Amino acid sequence: MIDILTSYTFMIVALGTVILAVASGIIGTVSVIKGQSLIGDAVGHATFPGIVLAFMLAGTRETLVLALGALLLGIIAFFTIQIITEHSRITLDGALALVLSSFFGLGMALMSFVQGNPDFEGTQGLSDYIFGQAAYMLRSDVYLILAASGASLLVFILFYQQLKIYIFDPVYSRSIGISNMLMNFMILGITITLIAVGLKAVGAILIVNLLIAPAVVGQLWSDRFFHVLIIAAATGGISAFAGTYISTAGNDIATGPAIILVLSAFVLVSLLSARKGLLRRSILKRKVGERS
Amino acid sequence: MMIEVLFVLIVTAMAASLLGVFLVLRGMAMVTDAISHTILLGIVLAFFVTNDIRSPWLIIAASLVGLATVYIIELVSKTELIRQDAAIGFVFTALFAIAVILVSKFAGNVHLDMDVVLMGEVIFAPFNRIDILGVSIPNALWQLSIILLINIAFVTLFYKELKVTSFDPKFAYIAGFSVALIHYGLMTLVSVTAVAAFDAVGSILVINFFVAPALTAYLLVRRLGAMIGLAIAFAVLNSVAGYFISFHFDLSVAGTTAFVALITFMIVFLFNSKGFIIRRIQKQHQKKTFSRAMIMMLMNEASHESLSQKEIMSHFNLSEAQFNRHISYLIANEYMEKDEEKYRLTRRGEEFTHYTRLKYELPA
Repeated sequence: MIDILTSYTFMIVALGTVILAVASGIIGTVSVIKGQSLIGDAVGHATFPGIVLAFMLAGTRETLVLALGALLLGIIAFFTIQIITEHSRITLDGALALVLSSFFGLGMALMSFVQGNPDFEGTQGLSDYIFGQAAYMLRSDVYLILAASGASLLVFILFYQQLKIYIFDPVYSRSIGISNMLMNFMILGITITLIAVGLKAVGAILIVNLLIAPAVVGQLWSDRFFHVLIIAAATGGISAFAGTYISTAGNDIATGPAIILVLSAFVLVSLLSARKGLLRRSILKRKVGERS
Repeated sequence: MMIEVLFVLIVTAMAASLLGVFLVLRGMAMVTDAISHTILLGIVLAFFVTNDIRSPWLIIAASLVGLATVYIIELVSKTELIRQDAAIGFVFTALFAIAVILVSKFAGNVHLDMDVVLMGEVIFAPFNRIDILGVSIPNALWQLSIILLINIAFVTLFYKELKVTSFDPKFAYIAGFSVALIHYGLMTLVSVTAVAAFDAVGSILVINFFVAPALTAYLLVRRLGAMIGLAIAFAVLNSVAGYFISFHFDLSVAGTTAFVALITFMIVFLFNSKGFIIRRIQKQHQKKTFSRAMIMMLMNEASHESLSQKEIMSHFNLSEAQFNRHISYLIANEYMEKDEEKYRLTRRGEEFTHYTRLKYELPA
């Protein structure tokens, strides 16, 4: 066990995934409370064509370049969803499903173009971004995650008060001069950035879980925003560490899915036994029943 | 032989979009997306038991997992501890993660390739054939045709029930329709269709075949029957266009078709008679007409009968270009006349303000 914990690969991968999960847990809490959690899902899928496009244009598999492509397509996808829902009868539900699958389709079409074309070399690594290949993470990838997560958390802390007011009382926040649009774009900008840098670790399809699950656990245990954030960050971090350990110890277990399984276990346990959970609730119900 | 690929694509698109109409109306598009991911778990589990990728047990197991997904999401969101969108997000990723681990851990060297499962490739459909009444046709085409027929039968038989439960579930419940039965019936067919379609179009893109044509039709019409017809027409159109484009440029057929569906949607979204661009133009037009009416209203007042360009511009905060556009229109239509750098209303202009007052119900 000690061998694994002190091995270089494990330390690199664990550092990257833990930081990513902590930042995602905190930012994801905001999206979950605002009812926007599936936007992360759509954006996650939509980053795939960005990866392939960046590779086609820049001709390199440098993580930073690919992350920029992912970021760009994520933003385009978000605005497409926004325009569709604002200017037609289509609901968010429908717009998300449409944009998510069409962008992913574009990614597959581009991918097949690149693979069948002798002008492009070294395309094997690209499909790793669909499921993530944390085992191949380099030191530079971890720096990228570190920089993006650090910047995201810094912005979050700087605007903490305004964000809190915006989240819970948008009407009041507008009346005291906070730009709701700015707050919304800030949260989505940070979300898309985290998704873009996290793709290599967890992949385009599963990354939304890192944003949602920690927040769900936090909400089950507390009603106070600050406590929810702390619990979400801790859940994310612990799951990332445990998941990375499991995937390193057991052969052939992908890191992203392993982290998500640990997170899901946390959700399941919390759903049953948390302060607001189902078991407590049924006990409470029985007590009330006895009294009456 | 290649034309068979197109047939498979069209039949898949028709079977999916027929159900997609109701999914869109019920706001279940993302639940369907969740199903299309989680059926992979059913396929993987059944594959481990049967070791046969063509076994009908795969379809049954996958459909059960699809239904279980819907049930779990409903169960979790019904507790009101977790919002439905968050429930969808973590339930499907959890089940999908299990499937991915199982595939990567145990199926590494057997005939269950992650890429094909996820992305599908309709190109390979003709290689797997079956003899029906002495005629050799692709297995996928045979399977999907049967499913298309089942879907058509379901929608025809339960048309009234589907309609009522989609538009007004509360009324349907009170009126004695079995809302739950229709709901789970629909979701069962969605799962079965998604499983059958998955090796043609892949498990991520199948959602596109369900919702994209229905959403495009939803932009155009308000009657359910028309929406169904139009959705199927768009489904065929997207498939044909996607097929030829992908062959011409040598691209993934399913991926191209999915993206073509977005382009079709965006064209309809932008250019239909109630669409984005027409509405923009109408708004601009309205704004112009209103500004002109207001300029004339002002000049109809005794104290503002004769105004200079500067006065009008400062009054309405107009730019030089805007001013020139308005004034040249007003003069050309003889609402206004220019007299030594001052503007005043003509007789026609005064009459027009009278009607403006009536129109906006202002006191004379």
